[in-house]
Amino acid sequence: MTTRKGNIVLFVLNNAPLILFAAVFGGFATLSPKFLAVENLVNILIQSASIGIVATGMTFVLLTAGIDLSVGSIMFLSAAAAGKLIAGGQPISLAFAVAIAIGVGYGAINAFFITRLKILPFIVTLSTQFAGRGLSLLITQTRAMNLPRLVEVGSSKILGMPAPVWLFGAVVVFAHVVLMKTAFGRHIYAIGNDAEGAKKAGINTTRVVFLVYVVSGLCAAMGGLVYLSRLGLVSPKLGLQREFAAIAAAVLGGTSLFGGRGKVLPGTFLGAALIQTVESGLVFIKASEYVYPLVTSFVIFFAVFVDSLRHVKLQQLKRRRIRVAATG
Amino acid sequence: MLPKNHGNATDLTSSVPVRSRAVWRRLLFSEHFVLYLSVLYFLAVWPFAPRLASPRNLLDIFSNMLPLLSVAIGQTFVLVTAGIDLSVTSIIALSSVFGASVMTSDGGLLSGSILAVPAGIAVMLATGVAIGLLNGTAIARLRMPPFMVTLTTMMFFSGFAVWLTGSQKISGLPRAFVGLGVGSVGFIPYPFLIAAVLATAAHVTLSQTVVGRWIYAIGHNARAARVSGVRVNRTVVFAYAASGFCAAVASVLYTARLETGDPVLGQRILLDIIAAVVIGGTSLFGGKGKVLWTVFGVLFITLIDNSLIMLEFSHFTIMIVKGAVILFAALMDALRNRLLAAQ
Amino acid sequence: MSDTILECRNVTKSFFGVPVLRNVSLTLKAGRVLGIVGENGAGKSTLMNILGGVLRADSGSIRLGGRNHAPQNPAEAFRDGIAFIHQELNLFTNLSVAENMFIAAFPKTRIVRLPLIRRREIREKTRALLASVDLHVSAESLVEDLSPGERQMVEIAKALGAEARIIILDEPTTSLSSRETQRLFSILQRLRGQGISMIYISHNLGDVLRLCDDILILRDGRVVGEGPKEEFTLERMISLMVGRSMDQLYPSRSARPSGEIVLEVKSLSEPGILENIAFQLYKGEILGISGLMGSGRTELARILFGLDAFERGEILLNGEPLKRCSPHKRIHRGMAFLTEDRRVEGLLMNASVEDNIALVSLPSFARALPGLVNRPEMLRAAGRAAKAVRLQCSSLSRQTAKTLSGGNQQKVVLAKWLLEKPSVFVLDEPTRGIDVGAKFEVYRIMDELAAEGAGILFISSEIEELMGMCDRILVMAYGEIRGCMARTQFDKEKIFRDALMENLLP
Repeated sequence: MTTRKGNIVLFVLNNAPLILFAAVFGGFATLSPKFLAVENLVNILIQSASIGIVATGMTFVLLTAGIDLSVGSIMFLSAAAAGKLIAGGQPISLAFAVAIAIGVGYGAINAFFITRLKILPFIVTLSTQFAGRGLSLLITQTRAMNLPRLVEVGSSKILGMPAPVWLFGAVVVFAHVVLMKTAFGRHIYAIGNDAEGAKKAGINTTRVVFLVYVVSGLCAAMGGLVYLSRLGLVSPKLGLQREFAAIAAAVLGGTSLFGGRGKVLPGTFLGAALIQTVESGLVFIKASEYVYPLVTSFVIFFAVFVDSLRHVKLQQLKRRRIRVAATG
Repeated sequence: MLPKNHGNATDLTSSVPVRSRAVWRRLLFSEHFVLYLSVLYFLAVWPFAPRLASPRNLLDIFSNMLPLLSVAIGQTFVLVTAGIDLSVTSIIALSSVFGASVMTSDGGLLSGSILAVPAGIAVMLATGVAIGLLNGTAIARLRMPPFMVTLTTMMFFSGFAVWLTGSQKISGLPRAFVGLGVGSVGFIPYPFLIAAVLATAAHVTLSQTVVGRWIYAIGHNARAARVSGVRVNRTVVFAYAASGFCAAVASVLYTARLETGDPVLGQRILLDIIAAVVIGGTSLFGGKGKVLWTVFGVLFITLIDNSLIMLEFSHFTIMIVKGAVILFAALMDALRNRLLAAQ
Repeated sequence: MSDTILECRNVTKSFFGVPVLRNVSLTLKAGRVLGIVGENGAGKSTLMNILGGVLRADSGSIRLGGRNHAPQNPAEAFRDGIAFIHQELNLFTNLSVAENMFIAAFPKTRIVRLPLIRRREIREKTRALLASVDLHVSAESLVEDLSPGERQMVEIAKALGAEARIIILDEPTTSLSSRETQRLFSILQRLRGQGISMIYISHNLGDVLRLCDDILILRDGRVVGEGPKEEFTLERMISLMVGRSMDQLYPSRSARPSGEIVLEVKSLSEPGILENIAFQLYKGEILGISGLMGSGRTELARILFGLDAFERGEILLNGEPLKRCSPHKRIHRGMAFLTEDRRVEGLLMNASVEDNIALVSLPSFARALPGLVNRPEMLRAAGRAAKAVRLQCSSLSRQTAKTLSGGNQQKVVLAKWLLEKPSVFVLDEPTRGIDVGAKFEVYRIMDELAAEGAGILFISSEIEELMGMCDRILVMAYGEIRGCMARTQFDKEKIFRDALMENLLP
């Protein structure tokens, strides 16, 4: 009897992100039935694409028990470089390629300091965050850049779906396959579980951790480009504090900050969508702009709280097994 | 064997490199390393920016240091427990807004009353402690990860401060309050006095009291600490409350100096704070850290900021250099630890 | 008769000029089990770490199957056919059993240039390997869902999968129930029959005699005895290990319990964990609690000490009921607790020895106002406590707990409680993983504490030490007390029977 009740509680806690997502969705739908219109749903997807892609890269890093605080600056730097090239008359494809290369290079610099010089990821990416933002401001001369031409790219459609949504989907699916089905992916989980043990087991941990930060840099650059092509604007605040949003999206989706636990699909995808749904919903019900951070942060807090509750509950259930065998 | 009368000469020549190496070693492994690094940096930059050493600028460095030092001291408490407090900037902002709306002559709650200033300061400090208690309770009792708890409270209370004021600054603060930022007893400025008292109190608490030793024990191993009778939950809550209190003190100093209640006050210094504490030598993994180290770390960061402005670098160059310098300091620290381990 | 598979000649190793291994030679033959015993610090783990590629020898030669063996890292040793199963298992708890088996070299297939793991292949192979060690769990189940015994079997299956010729087992039974130990031994014996050689390291000399064919004894980095097991008795092994003859394994008890009750437990229950526990502990008594892993003995200890909650019943400490679940209050009222896992819950590994010893009694050294700790006095007291437990360490203030041997670590844990002069000690496996000499010292400390009037609850899975030290023994199974006997009635078989009550269940 008690076990059945326990099971229900556990089911709810285990699927908290999904249930929370449904609740938020349902809440806004009742407040404004038009919220469920296909057009609006697609809109939410488009808007969550940028941060969702960045969060996917962040998930790789968090899985190794690392952190990447520089993603906001990578978004800014790659978007600024692309914007500068396009404004200078270069073809969009070249600009995008350069931006991607910048993301990869940036990630490789982080990775070099972390794996070769053995400095804490927190400190390394904090420093490169400063440096990257400074560099981007230098490139843009702290002025905003308008690139209306890019919005066409951002809003172009393939098979009826906007390009950013396709890219978002492709990144998430590809990342999921890499994490779940390749040796590289499984090694990431192993390192997050026990880095020392992974080395002993013959995993080239230096290489894996290196690549993880490169992946994060790559994803951040893509996220920056998606953002750029949606708004057609490089402002000095681009990417500011987006590292926190990316971490929040990953954690909302069930990724642990201590490594070894978490998934991109549905986890991080859902997390990013949830954050965006809250914001879009608030726009939809015409809430004051000042209220956004209040509601968003409350939803994240609540989700983290539920996750902690789940841990405590699981521990309890694990403990209560001694007499089950005797009576059952 | 050399004849005795040559002994002295050979001793001298051979001991010079040995002695200088010993000196280097002592410098490198000293706990005042960051202080030496700051001095070295100062001397290196001085020729390029002579104004750096002007009395006026030195005073500037010190007065810029003080509010940052206050927050950083609180952060030290939290880092030693193996936690982190990202909410300090929101505490600075919200305290500033709350305090100002109590005190302002422009329709403040206690505008004009003689109680305005003490009540305003009390409200500011209480705000810090309250948010700290909230963080601590969520972390200790509800077992939520510190990073996420303080990240969300940071977002929430920053947003709250902005929402409350509609993004407007609150001016018209009473002269007595503003005096806290600029006044002095004799030739010792008030902010210096406040920061010195806070630092001393924090140092004594952390190194000499039961709760201070408990904070270290929790940082080393919270489970073992609990088994040894450490009141883990209370101590963790205390650490976050202390961090909130220190952030509120910083808010008092900033608000008095700027003469306005500002809803985005301190928003940009979050990473400076953590960088300063960590450069000082406090570990992000807990169990290791000192208030004195934090003083050096804050001095270092402030010095860099100030010197780059003196060198007339642009805003963005400053950011680039600052990033590089933080990385360099971390690199030195990693190198030091590796040498220490090899010994 | 059988071929030599591994041969070490004059292996020497020093750390910072201190020799740890001096000219150690050993021979391992195919299909035999070599037991290596010795006190902590005798050099067993260093030797194994050299074989397993964790460390490199300073001099000497190692030949594996006729070829020179000098692995540069554990992975290389593993490829050469040496599987090292550590005391702390090297499994990734967040991965599946099958993934753990192939973590170093996943079989891959390329699909659109993406190297995917051949899931079905590793599943099939894992299933076969698990069957060969009689482990009936799914290849897809996560390691974190397995019991310690099952994880041990997974490690062995993994070694088999890598076609290891030599399996090194370091204290494999410390976290196993006696039934799991039985199963482990029968599997190991079967593997021996298949020609696999093993090196077995344990402090449990009885197990070593039971399982091994040959025995090698190390002391201070030297081989002090070797030969087929028939040449050894328990007594001879111990005297070789310790370097002197130990006339007894347990100190004789110096005082008898008084009639005064210090701890009384009345119908203590917690659903799913404990049912109706009741007993009394007298002043000066050592009361043993025997039971299998998972019988609820550790859970009982944790509830008594206030680490976990209970639903019904009463705990009376010196006649007063204990209500709230708070170790801090329990300590204040005179209870001490030594946890079974000193790494995780016993010590601050990176803190100094004196900080560890002083931790429990910090509040007693604080002046009432302004609450500052009287450090000189505290350090003097810590020094006294260290002396009382005969702690061996070079510096109380500079040495960290991590650098001490297991036995000395346990002494630190004991020392920190002494300063508070508790009336009740709850000791959960106080001699786990420490060597014979240190065990004797722990027993002696227990006897001294009891003689001074403390009541001691002594939880252990080694029935011999309970019979050697206790005034009474309680037997636990399935969260209940199934038997109680006084010293005169001690009977190993009856304890076993009571502990294995499951046989009587329908």
